[in-house]
Amino acid sequence: MALFKEETQLVTGNSVFQNPATRYVAYAMIALLLSLAQRLLLGGIEVGGVAPDLLLIFAVMIALGEGQFVGMLAAFGAGLIFDSVNVGAFGSSALAKVISVYVAGMFYREGMYKITVGSMKFLGIIALSSFVNNIIKNFFALRLTEVDFIDFFVTYGVSETLYTTVFAAFPMLYFARKKL
Amino acid sequence: MFRLMRIIFEYKEPITLCFLIIISFSLMSLGDTTQLRGFRALSVTGIGTVQEVFSFIPNPAALKAENEALRELNYYLSKEVGKERKAKLENERLRSLLDIKQEYEFPVVVAEVVQRVTSGLRRYVYLNAGSEDGIQEGMTVANDRGLVGHVFAVEESHCLVQLITNLDTRISVVDERSRVEGILVWEGGRHMKLTKVAKSRDVQAGDMLLTSGFSSMYPEDVYVGTVAEVTEEPGSLFREILVEPRVDFDILEQVFVSMQVPHPEILELRKKLQEKINLER
Repeated sequence: MALFKEETQLVTGNSVFQNPATRYVAYAMIALLLSLAQRLLLGGIEVGGVAPDLLLIFAVMIALGEGQFVGMLAAFGAGLIFDSVNVGAFGSSALAKVISVYVAGMFYREGMYKITVGSMKFLGIIALSSFVNNIIKNFFALRLTEVDFIDFFVTYGVSETLYTTVFAAFPMLYFARKKL
Repeated sequence: MFRLMRIIFEYKEPITLCFLIIISFSLMSLGDTTQLRGFRALSVTGIGTVQEVFSFIPNPAALKAENEALRELNYYLSKEVGKERKAKLENERLRSLLDIKQEYEFPVVVAEVVQRVTSGLRRYVYLNAGSEDGIQEGMTVANDRGLVGHVFAVEESHCLVQLITNLDTRISVVDERSRVEGILVWEGGRHMKLTKVAKSRDVQAGDMLLTSGFSSMYPEDVYVGTVAEVTEEPGSLFREILVEPRVDFDILEQVFVSMQVPHPEILELRKKLQEKINLER
């Protein structure tokens, strides 16, 4: 977690992660690992086909640590990774994640990364961006079908939003402890 | 120029947002092109290989459920074997009377589910068998309980199977008891829906549904599900029929891939239809 810009500045003056390029490569590696974890490990805790969106949590954390601009690029990359290992319309997850992280990025305050992520506010941001992400994602998944969007969204979209928010409590608790 | 750059820098977030949205829409409009399929097939192989490494981790809940299902199946099969033997003898006698050719039975490949993929209402599984085992696109996948789905994409050592509990599923089925035909679809949840069955047709809860001979995708007489509930909505010409799939997709581990391939022309026509749908999108 010490990868984030502010973290590295606070922790050490000569961290290799102070170099933005190194840091972005590290983000990409983490995103790849998370997408693998999402596919391989989260099957065990999947409930009724609903699993938390780890890539979204990570993209929101980047947006809160680096700002809206970098966050959106990270979200786009994460969305493309997600699209490549799933079978829906290619680009739909990227679109959903970009817009949801743009919303999350509105809460970016320079120098406030640890405070934001380590507070209940972070769960609210995750819930909001996951909600937006699910609306867009499900809209594209259900178009040209006879499935009722509202019914489906209430069943799956809201469940995924809640599940993702619950999972976001792990980084929140980690940063809350660091704040103390 | 400098002013323009300054404006772009000042509004870089909304500009980037618009730019990324345009790229996303462009990617979506590409549809399922050959290059994209190749890229996704590579992902399938990569993930399938990694998943196999982790497959040694046991899932006690799934094992317990599978044990129960196997015991139940064993009981059911032991009863069926007797009936089956009697029916086979009778069938042979009748066939010889009618001089009908014996149906050709296709060999099967046994494969294990290495990964489940859920993307909204689209559900797939990866199998550890691929083109090097003779698997081809369009082959039917079933297990001892009934129909599982069909092979959607194939790579050398793995393949991707589209489950019948998938938004794109349309299966032509027939009621085993009354021979009433209908189209089976899935729109989420535990049950499938049997559509296009008029109120006057005889379908009852408990009836077994099999694939019909009209399906271009699946062979005839494969068990698909059991009618769970039949309701009649006022004002509608059709019945609302809920069907419970025979296969328990939560504990799906071993499946059989039937080496029967749909007619190449049917596959080609289906691809053309899919391309047309993608273009319309």
